[in-house]
Amino acid sequence: MIQTEHLTKRYGGLVAVNDLTLDIPQGQFFAFLGPNGAGKTTTIKLLAGLLKPTSGRALIGGYDIQKNPVEARKILSYVPDMPFLYDKLEPMEFMLFVGQLYGMDRVDVVRASDELFDVFGLNDTRRQMIENLSHGTRQRLVIASALLHQPKVIIIDEPMVGLDPRSARVVKNVLKERSRDGVTVFLSTHVLHIAEELADQVGILNRGKLIAVGTIDELRVVSGEKGELEDAFLALTRGEEAAAQLP
Amino acid sequence: MNGLQFFRLLAGVNARILRRHILAVREKSFLMVSVITLFVVGYWFAGYSVFFTGFRRLADVPGLQMILVDRMLYLFFAFLFLMLMFSNMIIGYSTLFKSQETQWMLTLPVRSLDVFRWKLMETTLLASWAFLFLSAPLMAAYGNARHVSGVFYLKVFLLFIPFTVIPAAIGSIAILIVTRYLHRHVFKWALFGVSVVGIICAIFFLKPMQAEDLEKAQIVASLHQLLHTSRVTVQPILPSYWVASSMIAWGDGGSGRGIFFFLVLLSNAMMATLVSVTISRHLYYEGWSRNHSQGHFQLGVPLLDAPISLPHTALTERLVNLWPRMHHATRALVIKDIRVFWRDTSQWSQFVIFFGLLGLYVLNLRSVAYDRNMELWASFVSFLNLGASSMTLATLTTRFVFPQFSLEGKRLWMIGMVPYGLKRVLLEKFWLSSVCTAAITLVLMLTSSWMLRIPGWLTLLFASTVVVMSFALCGIAVGIGALFPNFSSGSTANRRDDNPAKIVSGFGGTFCFILSLAYIVVVIGAEVAPMYASFAVSGFTERGQPWGLVFSWIFVALLSLAATSIPMSLALKKVESLEI
Repeated sequence: MIQTEHLTKRYGGLVAVNDLTLDIPQGQFFAFLGPNGAGKTTTIKLLAGLLKPTSGRALIGGYDIQKNPVEARKILSYVPDMPFLYDKLEPMEFMLFVGQLYGMDRVDVVRASDELFDVFGLNDTRRQMIENLSHGTRQRLVIASALLHQPKVIIIDEPMVGLDPRSARVVKNVLKERSRDGVTVFLSTHVLHIAEELADQVGILNRGKLIAVGTIDELRVVSGEKGELEDAFLALTRGEEAAAQLP
Repeated sequence: MNGLQFFRLLAGVNARILRRHILAVREKSFLMVSVITLFVVGYWFAGYSVFFTGFRRLADVPGLQMILVDRMLYLFFAFLFLMLMFSNMIIGYSTLFKSQETQWMLTLPVRSLDVFRWKLMETTLLASWAFLFLSAPLMAAYGNARHVSGVFYLKVFLLFIPFTVIPAAIGSIAILIVTRYLHRHVFKWALFGVSVVGIICAIFFLKPMQAEDLEKAQIVASLHQLLHTSRVTVQPILPSYWVASSMIAWGDGGSGRGIFFFLVLLSNAMMATLVSVTISRHLYYEGWSRNHSQGHFQLGVPLLDAPISLPHTALTERLVNLWPRMHHATRALVIKDIRVFWRDTSQWSQFVIFFGLLGLYVLNLRSVAYDRNMELWASFVSFLNLGASSMTLATLTTRFVFPQFSLEGKRLWMIGMVPYGLKRVLLEKFWLSSVCTAAITLVLMLTSSWMLRIPGWLTLLFASTVVVMSFALCGIAVGIGALFPNFSSGSTANRRDDNPAKIVSGFGGTFCFILSLAYIVVVIGAEVAPMYASFAVSGFTERGQPWGLVFSWIFVALLSLAATSIPMSLALKKVESLEI
C-alpha cells in the first residue's frame, strides 16, 4: 500500500533521505523511528507529496504521488507534527469542511463526525471556537478529521505530543483498530514504547538511511539486544554496520 | 473534486470566518474601536478636503486647467501600480509558499493548480484592499471636482477590479520564477543589491525640478517642465494609463473611450492571469518543494563557501563589542536581536522598502530647496521636514520596535529565567532601538537639512530634536509594547506564525502609534510657536531673536524625558510581576 523505490532527497549538500526502499502492505501498522534529524519528517513529506524527491519514487495505493497526486491523496490522510486548523470555526464546521473537501455527502459527514466525536471525546467542544481549544483537544480534532473520509493509508507524524494519557490511549486504540480493519498506518515517533505496543513492523532511519526494518523480535536479533526496543534502537543507531546483517 | 467546488467550499468557509472576525469587534475594547473609527473617518475627511482643494487649485492654473489634474491622476495610478506589484510580491510569497494553510491544502485531493488559483485570489485581495481604502478620498475628490454623477463611482469600482488583478498576476509570475530558480539566500542578497542599485540609479537619473527654476517664478514654464518630466506615466502601454484614461473619459462624459480602456484593462488582466496560471502549472509545486528543501547554500567555491556564515557572526559581534563595558547578558541579547531581525524576511524586506521610500523622499527635497529670500517659506519647509522625519520615526518605532517584546512570545520564559531578569531585556530593547533609530533619523535629518540648505543653527536644533525624539518614541514603543503585549499573534501554541504586522494591528500597536503622534504634535507645536511669534513681532520677512526657541527646546527635552520615563518605568514595574 505504501511503496518507496530508491527514494532520495538532498538538501543542498545534505542527503536527508538516502536511497530508501520500503514496501508496506495493506493493514500493516508501521512505526518509523530514528534519532533527531534522521530524515523521518522529510520521508513523510515525500510520501505525502509535499516535497519532490531528488530521485526515486513513492507510491500510495499504487499511485505515484508525483504523477497522480489527486488519486493518491483521495485514499491518504496526512497528520503533520504541526497541524493546521481554522481558529474561527467550530469543530463540527471544520469536520463538515474537511468532509466536503474529500467529496463526502453532508449527511455522511455529520454521521461520521458524530461517531468520531464520541470516540475522541469531543462532544463537549462542539459549540466552541477552535481557537479556544487546548493543544490536546486540537490534536484529537485533527486526528478525527483525518479519519473522516475513511482513508486507506494514514501517515501520522508524532501524534502523541501534548496528549494526556487518556487521549493518547484513545488515539492508539483507534489507530490500531483501523489497522486491523485494513488501513495502513505509517507512524513516526520518538516514543519507543508506542512502537513496541502497536507496530507490526518497525523501520529505523539514521542519517537518511534505513538501517533496520522488521518486527520488534527481528530487530532484537539483529541488534543483539534481548531487552526492550530501546536497547535495540540504541544499539542499531550506534553504527550503520548492522544494516548489512538484516534479513 | 474540481476547482469550482473547491473554490465554493473555501469561499463559504472564509465568508464564515470573516463574519466571525467582524462580530468579534463587539468584544474588543470600546476605546480601541472608537479610536480606529475616528482615525478612519478623520483620514477620509481630511484626505478628501486636501485632494479636493488641490484639484480646484490646479484647475485654476491659467492655460492648463484640467491637464494638471489629469496628469496627477496618471502619476497616482503609475505609483499605485508599482506599490501594488511590490505588495503582491511580498504577500504572495507568504501566502503561496510560507503559509501553513497552503501546506495543508497541498495534502488534499485537489490539484496544486487549484491551490495556486485560490491563493492568487487571496493575495490580490490582501494586497489591494488597503490601497483602495487609501485612494477612496482621492477618487471622491476627483469625481466632485469633475461634477460627475453617482454612476461614475460604480464604474471606477469596476475599473479597479482588473487594475488590481494585473499587478497581482505580474507579482505572482515574478515570485514563481524567483522561488523556482533562485535560492532564497541568493534572492535575499539579490534583493538587497537591486535596492541599492535602484537608489543609486534614482539619485542619478531622477531629475526633479531645481530650485533655480522656481526662483525664476515662471510658474507656467515650470509646470510645463513638470508635465514633461512626468510624461513617462502617460505611455499607452501602461495599465495605469488605461485606468486613468478610462476614468478621465468617464469623468468627461465620453463613455466610448471609457469603455474602450476598460476593455483594454479587462483583457490584459485576463491575459496576465492566464499567463500566471499557465506558468504555475509548471513552476508552483516545483517552487514550493524547492523552497522547503533548501539547505545551506554553497557556491561551489571552497574559499567562498567555507566561511559563508562566519562573517555574519564575526561582524555582528565585532560591532557590538565596539560598545565598551557592556554587560555580557545585554551583549548576548543585542547580538541575538540583530541576528533574528536580519534573518527574518518579513522584517528586513519591509525595512528595505521603507528606506527605499525614504530615499525617494530625500531625493525629492531638491525640488523645494531653501530660498534665502523668503525666511517664512524656508522655516515652513524646515518644520515640514521635521514633521515628516518624526512621523517616519513614529512609523518606524511602532512597526519595528513595538512588537519586539511580544515577538519573544513563548520564548520569554527562557530569557526571563536567566538571573538578570526581564528588566534587562526591556532595557536592552530600549537602548538598542533608541541608538539605531537615533542614528538613522540623525542621518536623515542632516541629509535633508543639507539638501534644503537649512542654516546651521536650525539644523543643529532639528538634529538635537530628532535625537531626543528617537529616545522618547522608542521609550513609548518599548513601554507600551510591554504594557500591552500581543502574545497570541506571535505564539506557536495556537499554531500561528510569528507575525510582527499582526502584533502591531492590535490595540497596543494602535495606542502606541496614536500616543507617538500626539507627542510629535506637541513637540513640533512647541518649536513652531516661538518661531512664528518672532516672525509676527519682526514682520514676515525677517526673523527676530531665536531665544524663544531655546526655551521651547528645553520644554521639548523635559517632555521627551517624561515620554521616555513614564511608559518605561510602568513597563519595568509590570515585567517584574509578569507571569510567563
